[in-house]
Amino acid sequence: MAFNGHQHDDESIDEDETPTKQPRSNKEMPGCFRNEPNNEASASAGRATSDRRSSNATPRQRIDSVKKTRPPFPWFGMDIGGTLVKLVYFEPKDITAEEEQEEVENLKSIRRYLTSNTAYGKTGIRDVHLELQDLTLCGRTGNLHFIRFPTHDLPAFLQMGRNKHFSSLHTTLCATGGGAYKFESDFRTMADLQLHKLDELDCLIRGVLYIDSVVSGGPSECYYFENPTDPDRCIQKPYTLENPYPLLLVNIGSGVSILAVYSESNYKRVTGTSLGGGTFLGLCCLLTGCSTFEEALEMASQGESTRVDKLVRDIYGGDYESFGNMMSKEKRESVSKEDLARATLVTITNNIGSITRMCALNENIERVVFVGNFLRVNTLSMKLLAYAMDYWSKGQLKALFLQHEGYFGAVGALLELLHPS
Amino acid sequence: MQLITIFSLTFPAFPWFGMDIGGTLVKLVYFEPVDITAEEEQEEVENLKSIRRYLTSNVAYGKTGVRDVHLELRNLTMCGRTGNLHFIRFPTQAMPRFIQMGHDKNFSSLHTTLCATGGGAYKFENDFRTMADLELLKLDELDCLIRGLLYVDRVSFNGHPEGYYFQNPSDTQSCVKMPCTLDNPFPMLLVNIGSGVSILAVYSENNYKRVTGTSLGGGTFLGLCCLLTGCETFEEALEMASKGDSTNVDKLVKDIYGGDYERFGLQGSAVASSFGHMMSKEKRDSISKEDLARATLVTITNNIGSIARMCAVNEKIERVVFVGNFLRINTVSTKLLAYAMDFWSKGQLRALFLEHEGYFGAVGALMELLKTTEDP
Repeated sequence: MAFNGHQHDDESIDEDETPTKQPRSNKEMPGCFRNEPNNEASASAGRATSDRRSSNATPRQRIDSVKKTRPPFPWFGMDIGGTLVKLVYFEPKDITAEEEQEEVENLKSIRRYLTSNTAYGKTGIRDVHLELQDLTLCGRTGNLHFIRFPTHDLPAFLQMGRNKHFSSLHTTLCATGGGAYKFESDFRTMADLQLHKLDELDCLIRGVLYIDSVVSGGPSECYYFENPTDPDRCIQKPYTLENPYPLLLVNIGSGVSILAVYSESNYKRVTGTSLGGGTFLGLCCLLTGCSTFEEALEMASQGESTRVDKLVRDIYGGDYESFGNMMSKEKRESVSKEDLARATLVTITNNIGSITRMCALNENIERVVFVGNFLRVNTLSMKLLAYAMDYWSKGQLKALFLQHEGYFGAVGALLELLHPS
Repeated sequence: MQLITIFSLTFPAFPWFGMDIGGTLVKLVYFEPVDITAEEEQEEVENLKSIRRYLTSNVAYGKTGVRDVHLELRNLTMCGRTGNLHFIRFPTQAMPRFIQMGHDKNFSSLHTTLCATGGGAYKFENDFRTMADLELLKLDELDCLIRGLLYVDRVSFNGHPEGYYFQNPSDTQSCVKMPCTLDNPFPMLLVNIGSGVSILAVYSENNYKRVTGTSLGGGTFLGLCCLLTGCETFEEALEMASKGDSTNVDKLVKDIYGGDYERFGLQGSAVASSFGHMMSKEKRDSISKEDLARATLVTITNNIGSIARMCAVNEKIERVVFVGNFLRINTVSTKLLAYAMDFWSKGQLRALFLEHEGYFGAVGALMELLKTTEDP
């Protein structure tokens, strides 16, 4: 009867009895009410073109179908990237006394551990400022938490899953990102967990569209920069992503993928580049001796890249060349680590901007959304991208950013758990 | 410009130079007349003779000047004169010394026009005037590039084709260099990889546009290499790169996926994140300078290839010609570019290369001086 980790099919619960807040119908997960009791388990392959039409079922019918397909807690979505693991966790706030009593110990302990800490172990972090409160998902109300830790520490995470007997909860663990494939057998052998592997770009798009639709109040999920190059006048302004198509989505993680999105289920991967966030961090570590992304950004914010790059002034016109001054020994000795970090950041960012611009032109798309954790706490790059898009396109292209940056894949994975496509 | 009339031809006064002052290298082409009559020789002023002798009897000049003898075009006819075209280069850093030499050899008394292109034609214009009393005729580098390229292809390389491509670029065993000429060259995508990169769509000799550029060019490769490995020259950097393994430095698709990313056709061996392993201390401690040099070369080259490919698709052009001194003695990059064009386009695009790599701007500048087409 309770949502305590057993298989679903608990029609005895009457939705009306749970002391939930009134669902904000315009914020509910639209897909929740679109599910037919017998879902088609169509595997997504190549271009996703399945239709998702809204249901015309009555409220009672919808609730029934929701109950039938609602998975047991805990609800996670996981995105195992090249550098970072992104985890979203739905913490139910509408647990009845009854439910609580029935709840198995390890499920309770997982919930408590995750929600009463903001740091986990040495490297795990919960981005509290990104928490989405009072969200209604699949008829339950709760908070959505955003957690990240280095992929390098996945073994420790698996160990924890094993210690907490996560596998006894018999939940599906929906995971995306390359690591879902790479670590699949580790999950099985180390923690007896079966991953439900999902494509990272499907999840990314799904997650982006969902989050933008549910965030209300507080800062807008989507924003852009006005006057990006003027430090005195540069401001963040909200942007509504309704009628978002077509959209160019640039995902800057360890590497970069660029997608042209024509509708929720119709997109293509236009291209990518291997010069991404991983390159920035790797090069910075080599050139400056730093060891974290935050350190690298800190140095970059203090540096001056023009000492490192051959400027327009130095040659005469056209694009400047990155690191060009470093061929000269005297010049090498006169630059600081901060200058090098800055030059690296600027080089990588501008290269991404340049490639993005070409894609936008090629695909005839004017709206570009940048996501991915390279942009986390990285206003320098965001402003550079905003400027580049605007300047080189003479105002035709607009660079847009999203608050939840690198978490969309994980959100998409969570959505797949709740509403299998 | 002083003109000497012989028979019914007019041509400018010797010496005939074309100069391309780039961000890293100065490229100089010099036409050595071999049809000088006894009369002419007698009349010839001393410093002109001395310049000719100095240039043609040496293959190295000072510490850093080099004459690429293997590129010499022999028995060329230009403007009614027959001679050899010499290809000389020296670092832009040594420009002050070059100008000083021009001053010492009293070059200005020869009253010739010095046609120069490249950014340095603007940057050093004043220095030429004040240090050597020489007036530069400044020319656009892209005009000169195209003009020079088409000219050399037309006159051919001492009877052999100027251009070449790689057959089976994806197969390291059977990858072979094949000569070719640029017949029906248009349209072509011209990728000029010098210190920085310019990409041009060329529709005819006089109709072209600069599509885009990237700041990650040869200058970046060398600058980064110097920083990462302590090397000092392009040759050293390439030497190191030829011995390194970039897969120790780069994060590949298989490092993230455990194999291929099949959904989008990305093989496990493709690079997902350049230098992506370098955020890990253990990995940093385990790689060599050669690995770093290789990774730098591969990263810059693949980025250029990727951008070139996007432009080719955008502009609907199938032939991509790569020039510029980044490719000098750099078979790793030329083969990588050939492979990238072929592989990612599934054989639709073809990469072409030219033997005189980075000298076309200077040749174009020389042609502007002569303002004539070559004799057939």
